[in-house]
Amino acid sequence: MQEHNISKGNFEQCLKCNICTQVCPMFEVNPHYPGPKQAGPDGERYRLKDPSFFDLTLKYCLNCKSCEVACPSGVKVGDIIQIARLKYGRQSNPLRDRMLASTDLVGTVASVLAPVANPILAFGPAKRVMDIFGVDHRRTFPKYSGEKFEQWFKKNAAPAQSRFKEHVAYFHGCYVNYNYPQLGKDFVKVMNACGYGVSLLEKERCCGVALISNGFGKQAAVQAAQNVDSIRKAGAPVLTTSSTCTFTIRDEYRNVLGLDCADMASTVELAVKWIYEKIASGKVNLRFRPDFHLKVVYHTACHMQKLGWALFSQELLKMIPGVELVVPEQHCCGIAGTFGFKKENYGYSQAIGQPLFDSLLAAGADAVATDCETCKWQIESGTGIPVLNPISILAMALLTD
Amino acid sequence: MKFDVVIIGGGKSGTLAAYKLARAGKRCAVVSAGHCLGKTFRREFIALGGTFLNGDRVTGGNVEGGRVQYVRTENLGENTVLEAGHFILCTGKFFSRGLISTIANIYEPVFGCDVLYAQDRSEWTVDDFFAKQPFENFGLRVDDSSRVYVGGNVISNLYAAGEILAGEVDIEQSVEKVCRNII
Repeated sequence: MQEHNISKGNFEQCLKCNICTQVCPMFEVNPHYPGPKQAGPDGERYRLKDPSFFDLTLKYCLNCKSCEVACPSGVKVGDIIQIARLKYGRQSNPLRDRMLASTDLVGTVASVLAPVANPILAFGPAKRVMDIFGVDHRRTFPKYSGEKFEQWFKKNAAPAQSRFKEHVAYFHGCYVNYNYPQLGKDFVKVMNACGYGVSLLEKERCCGVALISNGFGKQAAVQAAQNVDSIRKAGAPVLTTSSTCTFTIRDEYRNVLGLDCADMASTVELAVKWIYEKIASGKVNLRFRPDFHLKVVYHTACHMQKLGWALFSQELLKMIPGVELVVPEQHCCGIAGTFGFKKENYGYSQAIGQPLFDSLLAAGADAVATDCETCKWQIESGTGIPVLNPISILAMALLTD
Repeated sequence: MKFDVVIIGGGKSGTLAAYKLARAGKRCAVVSAGHCLGKTFRREFIALGGTFLNGDRVTGGNVEGGRVQYVRTENLGENTVLEAGHFILCTGKFFSRGLISTIANIYEPVFGCDVLYAQDRSEWTVDDFFAKQPFENFGLRVDDSSRVYVGGNVISNLYAAGEILAGEVDIEQSVEKVCRNII
């Protein structure tokens, strides 16, 4: 008798309770999406018999993993859907999807052309052209920074790091490198205040989350293997400031791309978790400005919820005297990375985000704190409230000599 | 991380207990292994500033001197534990994995609490499908203050409430009883 489950993603454990469907943010707003139970474990039974049972509406899955967080039976509903999409899916708009997913290539080109690219990307008629191309005209691309974070680091921060005895490595991610180096600068400032030097990885590629969600599994696996290699060579804890990069490296590389890298779970973690634990164990002591005041509402990004680490960000923020923290119930913001940029998805994206926008606005805070960069874009465009990474808030509140 | 009360399980009884204790000014954390009923109490608990660990699972606890000192969870990992003065087990029965049944026995997976159940497996069920099944009444043995036993010894700060208890259970009353003891 077979006593234990041997199915992939635990799908035989699905008891059809539909709790996943009930919490799915896409199912709530989109009648065309069959919901995680049917798209995941139910559909998998058919797909195993015949791949032509693959349902094209699986493209609506945000890969937010709310279904997995909710599942009382441990079924990897989201993973099952992602793997099916990579195996059987095809792009509805391959050129656009390739462009949205190629964060390293587009980022490198746009950083060089930043003085020209930024005004063009924000320019009305250019947005109309993008719209024809399949990128919704109501979206504004995040600005590209002229100087990449890696360049700034090598020029301005790297030499000073050797004065520290202990070091951490930083996986900065595409957003910090191409769009928002300030977060990387804040990270270096905070780590140095903790008494740790920062180094970069030998070679960092985009974590590949956009490639996975746009169906470019092979390319994602190549980049993943390069990152795993660099992370293993780091010889120090590898810290991040993006919940999605972290989640992708720890979980998706192994569970969705099938890489043999279980060690990533103990090597890679979010800086907020690492710093909290250092402070809690008395190894690090941060000093804060006495005149700092900020009312902050914390948004738990979906992948942060899946990691289960929102508590670390919240507790760190609470340690700052002068921070008043409000934590509402978790709700998906609806953007899901490149998903919300696509013309056909914009409406769903906004409909999902609306209840969150309302609850954040109701908090009456000066700023929203969140650990995810695409949530930041969505919330800033949906509410007008500035959105900061908790590491940036720490950096702002630090007492510096 | 220190709390007044850590509630293991975020279903009906867990969220109700959390809400009642938070209302009474206790700093509480709920570890909820899956989404469940009890949305309203969860919402109110979070609005009161309670900590709700969604989709996390308690993997084990440290019991010393007849008291639970702390518990660990899957997501918080090796370096962070949840410490508290009181702990409440609200993990329900078999579906929610508060109790695990195997071919040989029935056990409580977090602390290995004493479970009251028929030792002879043939007595777990009756043939009549529509009849009340004996296994529905299996559950934890508790003392007069709803505290559980491990290996025959009572754990002085570990309570149980809700479906996980043995016998016919009134969820609201079982929660009320535990909360009264703690407040």
